[in-house]
Amino acid sequence: MTRVRVTAPRSASRPARESREAAEESEVGQVFVRSLIRSQLRLALVVAIDFMLILCAFPLLLAALPGLAETRIAGIPFDWILLGAGIYPVIGLSAWLYIRTAARNEARYRDLAGDE
Amino acid sequence: MNPAVGVIALVLVSLATAAIGFYGLRISRTTGDFYVASRTVKPWWNASAIGGEYLSAASFLGVAGLILLSGTDALWFPVGYTAGYLMLLLFVAAPLRRSGAYTIPDFTEARLDSRAVRRVTSVVVVVVGWLYIVPQLHGAALTIRITTGLPAWVGSVAVVVVVCLTVVAGGMRSITFVQAFQFWLKLTALAVPVLFIVFTLAGDGSAAVAPAVVNPTGLAPAGPYQNISLLVALLFGTLGLPHVLVRFYTNPDGHSARRTTLIVLGLLSVFYLFPTAYGLVGRMFAPELARSGQADAVVLLLPGQLIGGTAGDLLSALVVAGAFAAFLSTTSGLVVSLAGVISQDVLGGSVRGFRLAAVVSAVVPLGFAVMTDSLALAGSVGLVFAFTASTVCPVLLLGIWWRGLTDAGAIAGMVTGGVLCGGAMVWGTVLGAAGTPFWLAQPAAWTVPAAFAVTVLVSRATKHRIPRTMSRVMTRLHTPERPLVTER
Repeated sequence: MTRVRVTAPRSASRPARESREAAEESEVGQVFVRSLIRSQLRLALVVAIDFMLILCAFPLLLAALPGLAETRIAGIPFDWILLGAGIYPVIGLSAWLYIRTAARNEARYRDLAGDE
Repeated sequence: MNPAVGVIALVLVSLATAAIGFYGLRISRTTGDFYVASRTVKPWWNASAIGGEYLSAASFLGVAGLILLSGTDALWFPVGYTAGYLMLLLFVAAPLRRSGAYTIPDFTEARLDSRAVRRVTSVVVVVVGWLYIVPQLHGAALTIRITTGLPAWVGSVAVVVVVCLTVVAGGMRSITFVQAFQFWLKLTALAVPVLFIVFTLAGDGSAAVAPAVVNPTGLAPAGPYQNISLLVALLFGTLGLPHVLVRFYTNPDGHSARRTTLIVLGLLSVFYLFPTAYGLVGRMFAPELARSGQADAVVLLLPGQLIGGTAGDLLSALVVAGAFAAFLSTTSGLVVSLAGVISQDVLGGSVRGFRLAAVVSAVVPLGFAVMTDSLALAGSVGLVFAFTASTVCPVLLLGIWWRGLTDAGAIAGMVTGGVLCGGAMVWGTVLGAAGTPFWLAQPAAWTVPAAFAVTVLVSRATKHRIPRTMSRVMTRLHTPERPLVTER
């Protein structure tokens, strides 16, 4: 692996944008970018697939336990509660977990690529 | 229902929309202001505006109507509409914001470095937008007919006139305020009457002996194929909707684009509890509405039917106001994004071109809407999602995440998806609802994979056409912006 060392002290007046592009067009920069994209894609796929599995589990659960759908809570059948309200918290939780991890991936990239 | 109630509600919502629109005029000055509010909108405002724009006639009237008709099977509609935003967050939100483009055609052109891709994407986006405006206008026609007794076309024309005035006057800046206001109006307009109904029934003691949930039409439950196909359409259709995407450009950076989406998910989750409640209450206490072919009007009719008197009239007025807010906000969001595409591609991107394009993009679907009759609103919007998922979605997803996409692959994929899904929609209309086989009525489960497959195979075969700018564009899409974004 090639090591790149920035020898000259960076002047404060140099525009950040220029250094960003220079860092990212170098070979090493591209390695970091590829690894960032790969980790973000993996994260998105894991969250999406897990969410869809949970989504499939809801109707399967109702089909497996026929008595469950008939149960009433405050007059409302349980299958209505499960499908009509129970899925939304799963969506919100998936989104929250994704955002936290995605921001962490970006912070790691910034540490690696941004501030040599 | 008292006809004056509907008219007064309609006039008040139109005036409020126009007033906020004109107030915004004083702030918007530059072309940037017109298109994307100069990207300075805060996440909460932006999230309310996205919610306001997204919750259309299908969500406000159609979901409750479909739940009344088909029961728990229809609960997949609100779930799919919300989960579509989750997919948008996972795969599209931040990279799209970082792409720095104004519209989807801007994005595909920048990513693939090709004018031809841009032209094909523009055509697809305009078709999607027009297809989506038509059910909004049908909803307006239905609302006017049911609540005031005026001819149905009055509703469609009123929506188009108010939208054109607002958009031409202020562009996106005022649209953001209008949409945010309309989200909260819609939520109030659904929540207050349904809570009132539930508490009244509980006070009567009729909820304690709640009647069984009935199946008013005797429709057979949908098979797993229909439910899966519907979910594919809704999950992957949302991330290609032009009016949804253009909203992400109004976030200051990628991280705030994600935060905005999270807030939107919360707002949608709360909102969809209420159409579900309407559907359930309708199935328990007013199943005859489904038998008389008025299912889409259940939200409008239920307060008058179950409460009655002055309270019923007031609640009906609130619901009608919310319904018009839904038609106005979705239509104006679509018109803004279509006008952005048409004016940049055909009219050179000036402010005057934008205004002209806005009028064109509202008047064409008005023609369609007046000539055709409304089907089940949620169902026809579901088909638009299927079309978007088969055309825009593959290009967008592969463009953001796959280095191997080429212009030839993108065009082949969009054309394949468009022809297959469009063909299924036309054929289904010709055969009529009763004669359409299930795989044609819900085409997304095979048209979306087909479009993805063609895009990938053709891109593989034309590897030499991968644009030289690819690495730089991919870097910009995925790397965080400077200066450092504040976390949390």
